[in-house]
Amino acid sequence: MKGLGALATALIAVLLLRSTALANLAAQGIVIDVLAFATVAWALRRGAGWGATFGFALGLFADLDTAHWLGRHALILSLLGYVVGRLSGTLVQESPRTQFVLLVVATAAHLTWTAAFELGGFHAWQVMAMRVLTGSVATAFLGALVLSIIRRLGGRTILGHADLQSGKTI
Amino acid sequence: MGGVLPPAERRSSALVAVYVILSLLLLMVGERLPQASLRGIGAFMFAPFDRVVMVMDRVGAAWVENQELHERLTALSLENAVLRRSGEENRELREELGLPGYRNPTLRPVEILSLTGEPTPAAATLSAGSKAGLHLGDVVVTSAGLVGRISELYATQSRAALLSDPSVSVACEVESTGVLGVVRFTLSPRPALMLTSVPYADTVRVGQRVLTSGMSRRYPRGIAVGRVVKVGQDPDGLTQSVVLEPAARFTRLRHVFVIPGPAGAEGQP
Repeated sequence: MKGLGALATALIAVLLLRSTALANLAAQGIVIDVLAFATVAWALRRGAGWGATFGFALGLFADLDTAHWLGRHALILSLLGYVVGRLSGTLVQESPRTQFVLLVVATAAHLTWTAAFELGGFHAWQVMAMRVLTGSVATAFLGALVLSIIRRLGGRTILGHADLQSGKTI
Repeated sequence: MGGVLPPAERRSSALVAVYVILSLLLLMVGERLPQASLRGIGAFMFAPFDRVVMVMDRVGAAWVENQELHERLTALSLENAVLRRSGEENRELREELGLPGYRNPTLRPVEILSLTGEPTPAAATLSAGSKAGLHLGDVVVTSAGLVGRISELYATQSRAALLSDPSVSVACEVESTGVLGVVRFTLSPRPALMLTSVPYADTVRVGQRVLTSGMSRRYPRGIAVGRVVKVGQDPDGLTQSVVLEPAARFTRLRHVFVIPGPAGAEGQP
């Protein structure tokens, strides 16, 4: 029950952030993919099952915002949540470099998938490539920075699996 | 594969398989679902949170605006202190030179009942008359500048001739240069507020403000009348033709102020 409450709170916070402050930034051409960031962070902390669930729920709500393609965000985010959750047992999760690489890959995958729908194919691949590249790097940099600041302020690990020995699975 | 993976991973694998199948189903048949209703439910659920965010946004904007207003208030307070000192100095200098001092006029708020005249109003009916202490010839102004003067007086109402009435003329001067002239409204060659009787030798520039000069008995000195928008030459070549943009908008008058003039000044220019 506590887990569901935390999941609902995180979903609301992410969706509100996406539709307010980040929407203003996106209008100025700075794309911060908070959906991918939140899914990666959640999956790193909670594992594959919760990661997939969070990604699916977040994606479904995000899909309801758009006019078409219900299930577009849900599919890619649930897969990302699952994959990152599976990897979380074998990675040094508190390493900013690991977080950066994970965020770059996850954001690039998410943005490529959604941009393919919006652009109606790959004929505008240059625009899409630029958007994916800048969005991935910006999200990864900002995401790793946010996680690092939270860890420093909290004075303890925020990603639960980090306490586990590398390579061990739950 | 199911037998190789630990139970927790089997569960998560099954879960993600369900999510993937659901997502694919939605992608394929999602267009047939009542998406408007679903979005309506979503909007209803998120409405309280949106409201909280909106309130926070407004509070943030108010905070920023408050800081700006504080800065502006401080700047204006400092400017006001300088102006007060300058005013005091000006009063002392005028006393030493034997010049009459400025007085703060008494302002009486009055409502505009109607405007007459097409296309530019030339007269206004005011909601106060002689019972309210108004006199013939009293000056009518707004915060923007001069509007006209009271031309007809009744017990509870009065009528003001506006600056846009061709029969009204006001002695004026150009701010800072002190060039004198008479402002009147002319109908030909096209309707315009003009500063007339300005000698050709005087310099008048576009953008300069024109104020009442105090040369006529009724109009106190320093009331804004208009701004110079065009400077030309009269056909006779002796005076200039100066077109003004009125300071007060005659077509948007709702409330005005009457400055009571000295008794017995009726009919004075």
